[in-house]
Amino acid sequence: MMNFERFEQIVETYGCAPARWPEHERNKAEQLLTTSAEARSLLDEHRALESLLNDYQVPAMPQMERRILGTLREATRASLLDRILDWMLPRSGALISWAWRPALVATLPLVCGIYLANYYSFGIDGAQNSWQEELYLISMNDYAEISE
Amino acid sequence: MRQRPVVHSTLGTDSRDSTSTMTEDEALMLAIQSGDSRAYESAVRKHIKAISHYAFRMLGNSKDVEDITQETLLRLWTHADSWQPGKAGVSTWLHRIAHNLCIDYLRKDRSGITGELTEDIETDDDPSLAPGKEAELQSLQKALDALPERQRSALILSHYQGFSNKEIAQMMDISVDALESILARARRGLKARLIRNAPTESV
Repeated sequence: MMNFERFEQIVETYGCAPARWPEHERNKAEQLLTTSAEARSLLDEHRALESLLNDYQVPAMPQMERRILGTLREATRASLLDRILDWMLPRSGALISWAWRPALVATLPLVCGIYLANYYSFGIDGAQNSWQEELYLISMNDYAEISE
Repeated sequence: MRQRPVVHSTLGTDSRDSTSTMTEDEALMLAIQSGDSRAYESAVRKHIKAISHYAFRMLGNSKDVEDITQETLLRLWTHADSWQPGKAGVSTWLHRIAHNLCIDYLRKDRSGITGELTEDIETDDDPSLAPGKEAELQSLQKALDALPERQRSALILSHYQGFSNKEIAQMMDISVDALESILARARRGLKARLIRNAPTESV
């Protein structure tokens, strides 16, 4: 047998519609409604509350929807670099984004420069090459003197 | 790139998951995951109302509703890979994102998302203009605002967005028992606040 306390718990948890009440307790709850004025009064209070909640409707916001659609459309057309930056940077926290993005962009040429310098010698030979060339020139000089 | 599936978007409908729309949602998500911007726009059009309505009821009439809605739907594009078919419906997944953003905003970062806290968004009408119910609806709005964030969110997701307790528990990352306790406290608290604020009213 269901008591009032359990009925109150069911209504507070699942709302007024018996269809949302737990199936195994639905019949007992509905039986209690036929015998208990207190249960009927409680249900009426919650129905009034749900009716009030139903009256609280959100207004149409067409301008906001248009703006969001426009912004998101642009976001999907962003360049590959922008997407990489968007991925790397946190979107929440405007201060972090504003400070971090220029800093990251500023370091990119430095990173590229280090990489390129490491990959190409740009005509600057290492010490080993210089010694090899010097030995080659000395041997050529010796050979020229012998030839004379 | 994967061939974009043929989908028929339903502009302006509330994005409640159902058996008939799951296939469409899944097709859209698969297309979005492969970088299809048209599928993304269809998904945005389909879910924008539900997400903005949820944010509006959580935050009230402020510019931040737009920011939360935009950020949620942007993550549909940037975080599409984290959605897994069969684990959660697209609407459930999006509401989970919106819920977390709203809770973060309400708890600690009221100025982090935008500085325009006082600027209202343009609406076609006012939600509190239902004839003869202005005072009641204002009391309701105050009572909803006074609820703790998680209670408010649970009640909105249950009553307005129509999610089941299991889906809401999944969104809020809590057990169904814990969610039901939150929902019961929310309804009890709302009723008590309305009675306290307006002792002559019927509620």
